[in-house]
Amino acid sequence: MTDGPGSQNGLTDERVVIIGGGPAGLTAAYELSKAGRKSIVLEKDDIVGGIARTVNYNGYRFDIGGHRFFTKVKAVEDLWEEVLGDDFVERKRLSRIYYNKKFFNYPFKVMNAVFGLGIWNSFMIVVSYLKAQAFPDLPEETFDKWVSNRFGKRLYDLFFKTYTEKVWGIPCTEISAEWAAQRIKGLSLLEAMKNALLKNRGRSREDVIKTLIDSFHYPRLGPGMMWEAIAERITSDGSDLVMNADVCRLRVSDGRVESVTVRHGGGERDVKGSHFISSMPVRELIGAIDPPPPGEVVEAANDLKYRDFLTVSLIIDTQVLFPDNWIYIHDPGVRLGRIQNFKNWSEEMVPDPKKTCLGLEYFCFEGDGLWTMSDRDLIELGKKELGMIGICDPSLVVDGTVVRMPKAYPVYDSTYRESLATIRGYLSSIGNLQLVGRNGMHKYNNQDHSMLTAMLAARNISGANYDLWRVNTDQEYHEEGEAGDYRLSEYDGLSSTQPRVPESVPRPIEQVIIRAFARLDKLAFALSVGTATGLAVFLATMFLILKGGTGAHKYVGLLDQYFAGYTISVEGAFIGLGYSFFWGFIFGWLFAYIRNFFTGLFIFKIKRERELSSFKNFIDYI
Amino acid sequence: MTKPRTEEEKLLQAVALLNAKSMGLVFGILLGLLIFIATNWLLVKGPQPNSAGQYVIGPHLGLLSQFFIGYSVSFVGSIVGFIYGFALGTIAGTFVGWLYNRIVMFRQR
Repeated sequence: MTDGPGSQNGLTDERVVIIGGGPAGLTAAYELSKAGRKSIVLEKDDIVGGIARTVNYNGYRFDIGGHRFFTKVKAVEDLWEEVLGDDFVERKRLSRIYYNKKFFNYPFKVMNAVFGLGIWNSFMIVVSYLKAQAFPDLPEETFDKWVSNRFGKRLYDLFFKTYTEKVWGIPCTEISAEWAAQRIKGLSLLEAMKNALLKNRGRSREDVIKTLIDSFHYPRLGPGMMWEAIAERITSDGSDLVMNADVCRLRVSDGRVESVTVRHGGGERDVKGSHFISSMPVRELIGAIDPPPPGEVVEAANDLKYRDFLTVSLIIDTQVLFPDNWIYIHDPGVRLGRIQNFKNWSEEMVPDPKKTCLGLEYFCFEGDGLWTMSDRDLIELGKKELGMIGICDPSLVVDGTVVRMPKAYPVYDSTYRESLATIRGYLSSIGNLQLVGRNGMHKYNNQDHSMLTAMLAARNISGANYDLWRVNTDQEYHEEGEAGDYRLSEYDGLSSTQPRVPESVPRPIEQVIIRAFARLDKLAFALSVGTATGLAVFLATMFLILKGGTGAHKYVGLLDQYFAGYTISVEGAFIGLGYSFFWGFIFGWLFAYIRNFFTGLFIFKIKRERELSSFKNFIDYI
Repeated sequence: MTKPRTEEEKLLQAVALLNAKSMGLVFGILLGLLIFIATNWLLVKGPQPNSAGQYVIGPHLGLLSQFFIGYSVSFVGSIVGFIYGFALGTIAGTFVGWLYNRIVMFRQR
């Protein structure tokens, strides 16, 4: 990768400076390149792709975490196809939970769980679930309560507590329930109701889930292949990609970024541009701004926290270990969180078909005991833990390497929202700087949404006015939705030039559902039925009086068995009106109450089913 | 009540408004059919002895003729009864729907 011509003395042309060569940064450069605009991408590392990179160790390729390629954003899907075409392969997904030396299907299957846990344990799980339903632990302020109330304490202890704590490094009792609810929204209630009501129309919901959960796309040589291809394209189009370029300063003047200072090749140099797109961690970005932002902004940036991650990649002298793409390790006795089996992602990731390459994933904090452990010790730890959980004999490990990935996950703690708001407030005053990506926005975006923010940022440079912060907020995203739902043009709603945002107007089918399942106003219904019945008896009585004769009097008069004092007379008509209004009112109120009750019961049932269905991919979201 | 923000909140907070015309139609058809079927049911059952030992058909339902001029417990009467029932049901249903909507709108003001 080159610095490109003209970069030695700082660029003064209209090029866009992009900080970070991960999915977001490279997508921005690619989109700008397609629009005929040159850019310079500054990547701190010596490899492109950010956390979605593929590391090559002696021909063995491995990811930093597994990166499935699926999206509902049509524009992103199109870009993937455009760049890789036939190099994209479709993979079957198999990812099980490994606990107590047994594999548990994930998403869970009842018989498998019963066999794995034993009948007594399974029975206790059901009892614990029913108990949680009957006596939920309220108030639901923390993650442990949120999950226990939905799935039962026993299931929470077995399958959620250990893994969640491994991933985030904090006790579940200190993670807010709000985070869990946000992270595991599942299908929207309306979507679930629509599915329940229209399940036989077109593709069934199960088919949609099957399509998106059971298989995914993957580049033949790992996700890095995508980013290397994009890097190739942008550089051949005349843009620059500078590796090992550590952005240490952003010079801001009059509400604009003038230039960035880059540490590169042992020296420092300035890179100028007309627009700047940053995917570097927000905390580092704020720290690099010159002159420094106000104290509260710096303080807010320093409050942002990250969870780091390291992969111990081990080469095993065996052809097949297990068929899963990855497995979740729920055993509390080991620090290992997840194991990737890269050969099962793509056979071409492993050069020797007689060997297997595993990625042992450890979640940690930069600087903690795991992070600072030497590579050799980490490899030994990995081998030991593989043996402890019974996945493979440590003596079969023939080689290994370690990759550390700082700031892999932005942490959503109790203060991050407020801190981010302060930072956004300050950054909004810098006109030519846009933030994109996961760390760039301190937002738990998946790869596709990181790319989407970059696509919209590129469009903004060409004159559009998208609010990038609304990506992944406006458009609810879930694996169980229909693939390819959203085209980029549909994000026009994010632009402040548009009169309305798309989600504010429910789509026709949702409007119909809302109307159909809206509750009856009990008082209004009771009053109207009461009035109608009251008037009916009153008018019937008056009619008989005016008509004269005695034919029906005897029988209608029997109403006094119920309406004491009622007679076929004017006075009786009013008494009848009063009584029948009263009974009509009671009937109307009860009718509305019962109707609302059963409608509510139906909605509750759908809601509960939706929550249980979210259980299927709960761990993916952790 | 706070303004609902999401579709889910809209669903959970929505108060139904009735379509008065549809409601009238439903009530009308139901009441019309009720009279039509009740009348024909008595015809199918045939004459039954009353307390005086006479065989009569539907002496009590026949009292509807006090309100529905031209109605009788006969097949033609069942059609007349259907028309009356339909008309009355339509008026009552429409009235209930109309009044309900007015009250709801008044309460939401």
